[in-house]
Amino acid sequence: MDAATPLLSVDRLTIDIGGANVVDDVSFTVAPGKVMALVGESGCGKSLTSYAMLGLLPPAARRTAGRIMLENTDLAALSERQFRKARGKDISIIFQEPSASLDPLTTVGSQIAEAYRVHHGVSRTEAYEKARQMLVDVGIPDPTRRLDQYPFELSGGMCQRIMISIALICGPRVLVADEPTTALDVTIQAQILDLMKKLVAERGTAIVLITHDMGVVADIADEVAVMYAGRIAEIAPVHDLFRLPKHPYTALLLASVPKLDDAPKADLATIEGTVPTPNEFGVGCRFVDRCPLATDKCRAEQPPLFDCGAGHRSACWHIDRMAEIRGVAA
Amino acid sequence: MSEHQNVLEIRDVAVHFGGRGGLLGKAGPVVKAVNGVDLDIARGETVALVGESGCGKSTLSNTIVGLQAPVSGSVRISGEEVVGADRKKLNDIRRKVQMIFQDPALSLDPRSTVGATIGEPLIVRGIAKGRALKERVATLLQQVGLRPEHADRYPHQFSGGQRQRVVIARALALEPDLLICDEPVSALDVSVRAQILNLLVALQKRTGVSYLFVSHDLGVVRHICDRVVVMYLGRFVEMADRDTFFANPKHPYTKALMSAVPEADPVVQRSKERLILGGELPSPANIPSGCAFHTRCPLATEICSKERPELTPRADGARVACHHA
Repeated sequence: MDAATPLLSVDRLTIDIGGANVVDDVSFTVAPGKVMALVGESGCGKSLTSYAMLGLLPPAARRTAGRIMLENTDLAALSERQFRKARGKDISIIFQEPSASLDPLTTVGSQIAEAYRVHHGVSRTEAYEKARQMLVDVGIPDPTRRLDQYPFELSGGMCQRIMISIALICGPRVLVADEPTTALDVTIQAQILDLMKKLVAERGTAIVLITHDMGVVADIADEVAVMYAGRIAEIAPVHDLFRLPKHPYTALLLASVPKLDDAPKADLATIEGTVPTPNEFGVGCRFVDRCPLATDKCRAEQPPLFDCGAGHRSACWHIDRMAEIRGVAA
Repeated sequence: MSEHQNVLEIRDVAVHFGGRGGLLGKAGPVVKAVNGVDLDIARGETVALVGESGCGKSTLSNTIVGLQAPVSGSVRISGEEVVGADRKKLNDIRRKVQMIFQDPALSLDPRSTVGATIGEPLIVRGIAKGRALKERVATLLQQVGLRPEHADRYPHQFSGGQRQRVVIARALALEPDLLICDEPVSALDVSVRAQILNLLVALQKRTGVSYLFVSHDLGVVRHICDRVVVMYLGRFVEMADRDTFFANPKHPYTKALMSAVPEADPVVQRSKERLILGGELPSPANIPSGCAFHTRCPLATEICSKERPELTPRADGARVACHHA
């Protein structure tokens, strides 16, 4: 399917906590079988955006505007009762710490089967058979024995495979993965990323991947939305974003990661200052205090997302001056 | 500081846990966390210790600072033996080696001002008090890029990166010869990570402190280290100079690690040779026979399960423990 028929489209989503727009006017779409990465630092609103898709916003947070369309359904408008039907079946989530997401007192088989029984009302035996099949799909050896084990008997990588099994057993069309490999060792991370790529390819699941790791983005994403202080700073196909970033924040973020051809112990590019807290948000661009390109205009007026062609958009008044930033080719 | 050339000399260190009768008199399995390792770190050198959870790198770090006694072997800090040292001696030695950890929020007392936290080692050792102490703390804060007036604030008033700076200032208070950095930047955001790495490099240039840099992030390791050591299930499997290590990795585990760490460049990342390891790290309570890596190794043959390969020197100076590399 082409990108023109998105499966999931987040449209001008705005989330308020205590009077501040911690997610502000966020829009993006994901097509079936594609991976959209939401990237940003702590507090940029990437996790809140994903929780809103699942109806899992914390009590203090309120959606004040925008829609989250899964085909023709507005997820953001569902009641809790309706959400229970959609969650797991149409859209699922996996979290960072698999051992904290699983019930320590229940066998993993029963946890996987439960998800299937809730939505399909089949017998226990049938659900267990489905769960066993799922373990084969996520690459767990000796699945029959594993079904009867408890989470503490499994390693972190195994637990994350169990989480993926629970999330995918009902064949949801969208999977939200919130830092799915951050807590895992690198060789296990590589296994899990490969598994996710395989599932996307085989099942056509659309993935919204929340991460701060540019390496993971480079490995698996098709499209990337860079978030800063609740807003999308830049959104682009993955190759374009890395090759020619069009927002100063993205450019500096990329430059601060050590590169293959850097001289050892050379000074890395840094972003001075810190992310503004929600009560420090001004009327202009939220990156203005840390931006090397900032002018009075940036302080006074919030930049819209400018269309730079080929699906590349950037919220910066000075896209034409990007070459002034270190490490960015003209 | 003493004139000894190597700030750290480890010889044949092994650390085991368990095995003796427990509460109910039943002997548990012996966990062989560290299993005979040798390592030297020269003055002003940065050595990276790379490996996954459970490989023994934290146990080794703890042994170096004397928090964990080895079952055998010798650990010398600037020429002084840590193993078997009495309390007074150990106290003197500990001044020369300090540690910083992954999560700065967990390393700081939330109820102490950062000034009190940084000054505490100086008071404990009777090095400074009163006005002199205040001045010393102010200098330390400036060295790590904070301001003297920050001394009166509490940890919660700082960002994660600033807190890690406080932790570094405290570690530097006693002018150690060796700083053990256990994943010092993995809990930090990317832009802050670069600031802390720059700070560590600048401090080393100024003070000549040596670093043992424990990390799994090979991008960071390549940036900051002079030499790299790879650890797997309690043993070193490869050690080499930075350039040799990254230009020509030899052990199959090293190659797998390099292939597993995603490069922040989609072109490089998607075209690189993939070597995805199957399976998981075996338990250190039940280490496979012969070469401990043979259960996951793509090159493994019969000899690997029978005979343990020693670290042997190669033509380019690297030392590798593998029958086939």
